[in-house]
Amino acid sequence: MAFTITACVLLGIIILCLLKFLAGGTGLVLLGKELRSFFFSPIAWVVLALVMLLNGLSFTAALADLREGERSVTLTAYTFNSIQFWLAYFFIFPVITMRLFAEEQKLGTIETLLTAPVTTIQLLLAKYLAAVCFYIILWLPSLLNFMLFQMNSTDDHASIGSLAGSYTIILLVGMFNIAIGCLASALTKNQLVAAMTCFTFCLLHFLLGFILQNLSVPDAFRETVTHFSTQIHVRAFIDGLIDTRQIIYYTSFSVLLLSITYHVLEFRKWKV
Amino acid sequence: MIKVSNLTKRFVGRTAVDAISFNVEPGEIVGFLGPNGAGKTTTIRILTGYMPATSGSAMIAGHDIFKESLKAQQRIGYMPENVPLYDDMRVKEYLRFRALLKGMRGREAKNGIAEAIDLCGLSEMRSKMIGTLSKGYRQRVGLADALIHNPELLILDEPTNGLDPNQIRRVRKLIKQLGLSHTILISTHILSEVEMTCDRVIILDRGKIRAADTPKNLIKHLRTAGHISIEINAAADIAANAIKKIPRVKKVIKESTEQEWTRFTVRAESGTDVREDIVKLANENNWALREIHSHGASLEDVFVELTQSPPTD
Repeated sequence: MAFTITACVLLGIIILCLLKFLAGGTGLVLLGKELRSFFFSPIAWVVLALVMLLNGLSFTAALADLREGERSVTLTAYTFNSIQFWLAYFFIFPVITMRLFAEEQKLGTIETLLTAPVTTIQLLLAKYLAAVCFYIILWLPSLLNFMLFQMNSTDDHASIGSLAGSYTIILLVGMFNIAIGCLASALTKNQLVAAMTCFTFCLLHFLLGFILQNLSVPDAFRETVTHFSTQIHVRAFIDGLIDTRQIIYYTSFSVLLLSITYHVLEFRKWKV
Repeated sequence: MIKVSNLTKRFVGRTAVDAISFNVEPGEIVGFLGPNGAGKTTTIRILTGYMPATSGSAMIAGHDIFKESLKAQQRIGYMPENVPLYDDMRVKEYLRFRALLKGMRGREAKNGIAEAIDLCGLSEMRSKMIGTLSKGYRQRVGLADALIHNPELLILDEPTNGLDPNQIRRVRKLIKQLGLSHTILISTHILSEVEMTCDRVIILDRGKIRAADTPKNLIKHLRTAGHISIEINAAADIAANAIKKIPRVKKVIKESTEQEWTRFTVRAESGTDVREDIVKLANENNWALREIHSHGASLEDVFVELTQSPPTD
């Protein structure tokens, strides 16, 4: 019951924000501009190339290993639990989010933006959604790998359930970590500082559970913290277990982080 | 057009703008003058809705800038100091983005962009990357952005900052031209600019309004207006004392001597002319006079007088 209410409230907030974002079409204009600045800068293409390379490598490695004989894991599990995957995972977020607000603040263009008839929420969501769109585009080529494999294979190594779970969790953690990046970028004028902050918090979130393993803390506490660890969520989803608790967890934290970012951007409006 | 009453902005530890009130009527070109750090940019940022005031109110075309900020912002064309732009966009592309952002669509946007490009002389640069433009052209792109949606009010923060004399002249001409159809508030610390373009001047210093009037009236009411330079063939001390005795002369300064000729600068009370008295004095004493020249007061004198006095509070 409580779970359903949370889900409904969350959905309500998201719909309300999207309506505000779309009002008058200004949000879409900003979104277009943000997407354009992703693809007109070399960063997007370099990141895209590197992520494709890493995905290709992990996919090839997984295939090579499965060819050796019977294995207890699926192709998707192999691909998305490889070192290459986690490597890509960690460098993507700082790189795509660091310039979002830091650059505007450094150039001073944030002033021209916010003195035009634009609301802070439109600016925030335009930047966030542009980053999420770019992130989705980053992972599409890897989906192609699986589709090609499926076409040429009689086996069911890359089952639909497992694939759906994998891409759902990739999207969820992506939304969450991009929200961290947005906040980090809004806090500073310096892109490098933004990138480092984002990287640190993404890493910490990934390591939750690991950190406590060798510390003498009560078991109950360790278990609770472990529930928040990205790595455990990713493993469950890759096996095809689409867990609504995690969907709510990542979505609600994304909303929370974005609302903090909103208040950081509104800070100049505070009457101090 | 602009109605500001009792506007105060406090930052931690200092008051940037201190209870200022002023109005700007439709169609006026008003110069916002003051030394660096006087609170000009802060006031402008409040007027454009970028930051809120600590207290007081500001109305733009009948809309409160805080309660109806979007409606007020729609009526303002704002060019910030140093003209922040995206270097990786082309001029036309940038102007198109700004036009869409300001709610223009389709044909309206297209016409707005074409007009702004034309008016600011950007036709040749329309396809250039903003990053490759010279400072003068960047300034023009900023100006084109400010007037693209044909706003009733233009707020320009130091529009000629960092330009060469030719560019300054061009921007000034453009502002005059725009003044025919817009209300304009220009902030600057370049005095000749204000004297040439503005109908009215507001002088701001340490967050307070020191004067608000037409440039002419300001100069008229100046206490130490203008000065007279004379070159006279007489003993310096005797001549100086004699000139000092002329009524309304406030100060006589000896500038230089060249053989028997001495050069003086004479300051008299505002609105008076003591040249005749000096000539009479020279005649009476049989001093040869080879130069007498009156330098009128300029806005610069007003500015210096108003902003160099020690703070009253």
